[in-house]
Amino acid sequence: MRFIGYVFSEAFRSLWRNKLSSFLSSLTTGFALFLLGISFLVSINLGYIYTMAEEQMEIQAYIIKDATANQIATAVDQVQKIPGVSTVKYVSKEDALEELKVMFKDKASVLESLEDENPLPASIRVKTSSVEYIDKVVEEIQTMDIIDDVIYQEEVSRRMMSIGKAVQYISLGGMVAVGAVSVMVIGNSIRLTIDSKRHEIGVMKLVGATDGFIVGPFILEGMVMGIVGSILGAVFAVGIYNWLFEKIYEVIPFMPMFALDAESKLRMFGIMAITGIVVGVAGSVISVRRHLKV
Amino acid sequence: MSLLINLRNVSKDYGGTVKALESVNLEIDKGEFVFIVGPSGAGKSTLIKLLYREEVPSKGQVVVLGKDLAKLRRREVPYLRRRIGVVFQDFKLLEEKTVWENVSFALEVTGTPNREIRKRVSQVLTLVGLKDRRDAFPNELSGGEQQRIAIARALARNPDILLADEPSGNLDPKTSLEIFSLLERTNMYGTTVVVATHAQEMVNLFKKRVIELRNGTVVRDERRGAYSS
Repeated sequence: MRFIGYVFSEAFRSLWRNKLSSFLSSLTTGFALFLLGISFLVSINLGYIYTMAEEQMEIQAYIIKDATANQIATAVDQVQKIPGVSTVKYVSKEDALEELKVMFKDKASVLESLEDENPLPASIRVKTSSVEYIDKVVEEIQTMDIIDDVIYQEEVSRRMMSIGKAVQYISLGGMVAVGAVSVMVIGNSIRLTIDSKRHEIGVMKLVGATDGFIVGPFILEGMVMGIVGSILGAVFAVGIYNWLFEKIYEVIPFMPMFALDAESKLRMFGIMAITGIVVGVAGSVISVRRHLKV
Repeated sequence: MSLLINLRNVSKDYGGTVKALESVNLEIDKGEFVFIVGPSGAGKSTLIKLLYREEVPSKGQVVVLGKDLAKLRRREVPYLRRRIGVVFQDFKLLEEKTVWENVSFALEVTGTPNREIRKRVSQVLTLVGLKDRRDAFPNELSGGEQQRIAIARALARNPDILLADEPSGNLDPKTSLEIFSLLERTNMYGTTVVVATHAQEMVNLFKKRVIELRNGTVVRDERRGAYSS
C-alpha cells in the first residue's frame, strides 16, 4: 500500500511538473497509436468486405437504356442456358430503386432526389452454382448486345481488398516509425524528471530505498503518458473514421463499410492502450537504464 | 562484545597509481564511539564509504553487521543501509521539503507504515531538539540545525551504526560542540558511532577511541586518545 501510494503521488507530481514535455510525449504516442487504430479499422473493413463478397457471389449485368422488353426476355433465356448458371433474375430500374430504399431505410432522404429521374440501370442478376464458373459466365454475358457492363462483387472486393491492404501496410509502417519516435520522446521526458530528482534519488539510495521505490514512479509516469496517448489516438481515429464514413456514404452509398459498434471501439481501444503502455514503459526503462545507475 | 565492523587487509584504489587505503585492519565493536582522524587525502572518506558500501574494496574484506560487503548482492544493499545512518559535511537535505518531510521521507521510501512514521519522526525530532521547527524549510535554518535534521534522518530507522563524514566541517566551534554532543548522546542510547573528522578540539575534548590514517594506512589506534599523539 505504502509503495503504491508513493509511486502514484511521485509519478503524478512529476507529470505535472513537466507538463509540457509530458503532454508532447503523450501527443506523439497518440499519433503513433492513431496510425495503429487506422490499421485496425482497415482490417475490420477488409474482414467485412470479405464476408459480404462470400454472401453475394452475384453477377450484375447492366442493361443498356433503350432495350425492349422482348430483347430483355430473350437475354434472360439465353443467360439461363449458360452452363453453371443457377438462378437468373431481372431487376427493373424501379426494382433497383426500391431495393436501395430498403437497404438504406434510415437514410431514405438521400434517395428522395432520385425519385424523379431514376439513374439506376435495369439489370440481370445471375448466380452461379459455384465460384469457378464466374469468369466464364461473365465472359459469355459480356458478348450480348443489350448488356452495357458486367460487374461482379468478387472483383470489386478484390480491388478494395488490395487498396485496403496497402493502406493497412502503410499505416502499420507509419505506426512503427512514429512508435519508435514516441519511445524516444517519452524517454526524454523521463530524463527531465530524473535530472530534477537526482539529489532526491541520492538520498533515497543513502537511506536504503529499494530499486522499486526509486524506479517505480518513472515507470508509472511513462505508462500514464502511453495511456493518455492511446486515449488521444483512439478519439482521433474514431473521429476521423466516423467523418470519413459519413462522407463516403454520401458519395458512394454502395461502398461496403463497417459501421463502428461499441464492441469494436472497445477492442480497438484495448489494442491501442496495451500498445501505449508497452511504448510508455519501454521509454521509461530505456531512460532509467541510460541515465540512472540503479 | 560483538564485532559490528571488521576490516581485513583492505586496500582501495580508484584506478590510478595512488592508493586511497592500503592494508587497513580494523575492528569496531557494538556500542563503540570511534574518531577517524588524519590530514585531507589520508583516506578517511574512503573508509566511511566502504562501511556503507558506497565503494567496494579493491582488495581485502569488509564485514559490516555480519555481511561481507564485497559479496553482498546489489539488491541486498538497501537493507544493509537501513541499518546504517550516514551524515555528511553538506547535510544532503532536500531543500523543497520541510524539516518533518525530510525525516519522514527516509521512512516513507523504505516502506514504513504511516502511523509508524509519525511516531518515529516525532521521536527523533525531539531527540535532536527541532520539534518546534518541524514546518520550517532547510534554508530557513542555521547550519547546526540543518545538521541536526540530517542526524534525525539518519537515526529515523533506529540504525545499529551511525557514520559521520566531517559532520562539523561547515560549522563554527560552538555549533560543532552541539553536534558532537548529539552524536555522543546517540552513542549512549546504544548506536555505534564512527566519525571521520578534522576537528582537533572535539576529538581532544571527547576522549574517545581514535584511529589515525596517513596516506591510506592506519598509523595509530588508541583507546581514549587525542587528535595527535
